[in-house]
Amino acid sequence: MGKILIVDDTLFMRTLLKNILFSGGHTIAGEAGDGEEAVAKYKELKPDLVTMDVVMPKMNGIEALKGIKAIDPAARVVMCTAVGQEQMVKLAIKSGAKGYIVKPFQAPKVLEEVKNVLAT
Amino acid sequence: MSEFEAYRGLFVAESRENHENLVKNLLILEKGPDQNAIDEIFRSVHTLKGASASMGFAEMERLCHAMEDVFQLVRSGTAEITEDLCSLLLACSDLLEQMIDDVEGGGDTSSMNADKQVNALKAWIEQRGGGKAQKKATAPAAKARDATPATETEPSDNSGGLPEYDLQVTVASECMMKDVRALLAIGNLESLGTILSLNPSKEAIDEGNFDGVLTIRIASDAGEEALKTAASGTEIADVDVKPAAKQEPASPKKPTDADKKPAAATADKSREIKNLRVDIHQLDHIMNLVEDLVINRGRLKQIAEQHRIKEMDEAIGMVERSVSDLQNLMMNIRMIPLNQIFNRLPRVVRDVAIYDSKEVEFVIEGGETELDRSVMDGLNDPLLHLIRNSVNHGIESPDAREKAGKPRKGFVKLSAYRDRDNVIIKLTDDGAGINVEKVKSKAIEKGLITQDTANTLTTDQAVDLLFQPGFSTADKISDISGRGVGLDVVKRSIESLKGTIRVETTPGKGSCFELLLPPTMAIVDVMIVRINGRRLGIPISSIVEVANFKRDATHFIGKGEAVLLRDEVLQLMWLNDMVGLSEVCEILIVVQYEKRKCCIPVDLVEGQQEVVVKPLSKLIGNTRGVSGITILGDGEVIPVLDVNTIA
Repeated sequence: MGKILIVDDTLFMRTLLKNILFSGGHTIAGEAGDGEEAVAKYKELKPDLVTMDVVMPKMNGIEALKGIKAIDPAARVVMCTAVGQEQMVKLAIKSGAKGYIVKPFQAPKVLEEVKNVLAT
Repeated sequence: MSEFEAYRGLFVAESRENHENLVKNLLILEKGPDQNAIDEIFRSVHTLKGASASMGFAEMERLCHAMEDVFQLVRSGTAEITEDLCSLLLACSDLLEQMIDDVEGGGDTSSMNADKQVNALKAWIEQRGGGKAQKKATAPAAKARDATPATETEPSDNSGGLPEYDLQVTVASECMMKDVRALLAIGNLESLGTILSLNPSKEAIDEGNFDGVLTIRIASDAGEEALKTAASGTEIADVDVKPAAKQEPASPKKPTDADKKPAAATADKSREIKNLRVDIHQLDHIMNLVEDLVINRGRLKQIAEQHRIKEMDEAIGMVERSVSDLQNLMMNIRMIPLNQIFNRLPRVVRDVAIYDSKEVEFVIEGGETELDRSVMDGLNDPLLHLIRNSVNHGIESPDAREKAGKPRKGFVKLSAYRDRDNVIIKLTDDGAGINVEKVKSKAIEKGLITQDTANTLTTDQAVDLLFQPGFSTADKISDISGRGVGLDVVKRSIESLKGTIRVETTPGKGSCFELLLPPTMAIVDVMIVRINGRRLGIPISSIVEVANFKRDATHFIGKGEAVLLRDEVLQLMWLNDMVGLSEVCEILIVVQYEKRKCCIPVDLVEGQQEVVVKPLSKLIGNTRGVSGITILGDGEVIPVLDVNTIA
C-alpha cells in the first residue's frame, strides 16, 4: 500500500482514479491539476508513487516527469495514457517512468500496475 | 454503467467546460493560426475522449477520437486549419454538446449517431494523406521477429565476468501497448545488470516493431529470481529465465534497489482543497433557509421592540449582524460571471453572419460582471434572441453598408457593467437602426394600432411597438431569428427577472438594446406603505421620491388623473382595484420605470425593510403589478408591487 500523488487536469479523472486507488487500500498524498503543480507537490509531499496524466496545461506530463526525476531519481511515476499515445509513453519510459495505465481505467489493471511499480 | 453513476454530474460539469474551451479556441483559430489555441483544443478533445471512454459513452468517445486524430495532424504541422475544417469541427462540437445534454439527462449517448461527423473527419484526414503517419504509429509490426538479424543488438561485452542469463519475456496478448511493456521490462532489467543482447532491439521496439516476445541475454549478479521479478509485471504473461550456456549458478544476492522505498512521511497534512463543487440545488436550499432566517429576524426584532429587554436587544443585534453577513455571503456565492453565458455568443454571431452572408465583428466587454445564478438562468434565451436580432435585422449586407459609406464589416458590441444596485447589459450595433415608419405601417397592418394613432406616436412610442405580442418586422421568418418568438417574449422574460429593457435607435447609425437587471432576485429592500388599512411593499430601487399629496391639486387629463410635481406632469396610479378606495391618501410615492414616472397615492409610510420576495404560485395566473409576496416580522403576508408592469 502506498501514498500516491494523483496528477490530472480534470477533477473527473482524479476522482475516478482516487476511488480506484482507495479501493485498493492506498492513501492519497495529494492531487495536482497541472505539471507545475505536480513537481511542487512532489517536492512537498514525497509520495511513494505518482500517477501522471500526459496531456495537461502549463507543463505536460513528460516535462513534469523529468522535473520530478530531477528532484528524486528514484521516483516512481506511472503514466496515465490513452490508445494512440504510444510514442509519448515511450518517451516517458525513456525519461524514467516506471509504468503506465491506459484510459479508460479498469480498476484491477490500475491496482495491479500500481502494486507492481510500488514493489520495484 | 452503474458504478459510474456517481461521476455523472462531475463528468457533465467538466465536459461542458472542455466543450466551451473547444468552441472558444476554434473561433480563435478561425481568425488565424494560433499554436496556443491548437494546444488547448487538443487538450480539451483529448480530455473529453478520456472521460467519455471512462464512462462508457462509446459514441461520444468515437467522435472525440476522430477529432483528436485531426488535431494530431494539425498540431504536428502536417495539416493546416481551413475555414471548412473549422465549420466541420464546430459541427462536431455541436453534436458533442448534444451528447453532454444527453448524458445530463441520464442517457449514455448511444441514441446519438456520430457517423456523419466521424466520416467527414476521416475523409478529411484521408484527403491530407495524413492517415499514413497515423498508421505507422499505431500498427503492430507483425514482421519484427522475421527480420531478426537487422533488429538484434550487437552483443555487449561482459568484461566483469558476471553470470549470464537468457530470458524470454512474453507480453500478454490483451496488452494494449506491447512495445511499451517490453521497454519497461528492459528498463527494469537494465537496473540489475548489463544487457548483452536484445531481440528485437530497443530501436526496433521504439519504432513499433514488436510482436510480443522478447529475448534477452543479461549479465547480472542479481540472481534468477530477482531477474524474473524485474522482468515480470503488469500484463507480462510469462518470463522464462535460464542460465546462459557455460554459466555457473548465480549467487543469490538481493536486488540492490528493491528496498529503497522512501520512508512515508506522516506529517504531510498540508494538503488543502481550495475549491469544491456544490450541487446548485443544495445552494438553493441554503438560500431558502437564509431567507427564512431573514423573515424570522424581522419577527424577533418586532417582538423585542414590544418588550424592551436590554439583553435581548443586544442578542438580537448580534443575530442581526450574523444574518446580514450570512445573507451577503450567500448572495456572493450564488454570483457567477456573465462570461458563463457570454462565452457562447461569439459562436452564435458567427453562425448567423455566415447564414446571412454578412460580415460582423463581435466584441464582448465586462464579461466578468457577476449576476445571481437565478437571474442568469433566465437571461440566456432573451440574450440569444437579441444577439441574433442584431446581426439578422440590425447589420446590413456588406454591399449595402459600403453604399452607405460604412465599413463592410458590421460591428456588434455586448457590454456589461455594474451600476449601483443594477447590472446593465448593452447590445450595440452599427447597423441600419430601426426604421420607425416601417414599424408603424407594420403595426397598422397587424391591426395593433390605427393610422390616426400612428401619426401621433413619438419615435420612442413607435419603437415600443416592437415589443407588442405578435410583432415582427422581418419580411420573412428566417431560420435564425424568426420562429415566431418575438421581442415581446424577450421583454416578458426580462420583466420576470425584475429587469427592464430599453431601445435607442438612430436611423443609419444603429441601435442599442439596454437591459437593466437586479443582480439578485431573492432579497429586496422595500418600503412598507399602507393604503386603506392594507399594507403593501414597494421596492426601494424603483422609488424616486416621496412627496406630499394635496387632493385638490390633481388635474384630469382624459380619463386619467395627474399632478404637477416639480414642473413635471405625473400620472396618478390609484390602487383602488387592489386595496379599495382610500379617502385619506396624503402621501405620493413617485416611482420610475424605464424612462417613465408615475405616482402612487398612499395613506402612510410605515418604514423600510429588507424582505424576501416569494413568487406567487402559477395557479394564480397572470398577476401584472405584483411581483410576489413577502412575510413581515409580525407574520402578515403582504404583496410586493412590480412597478414595471403596474401601468
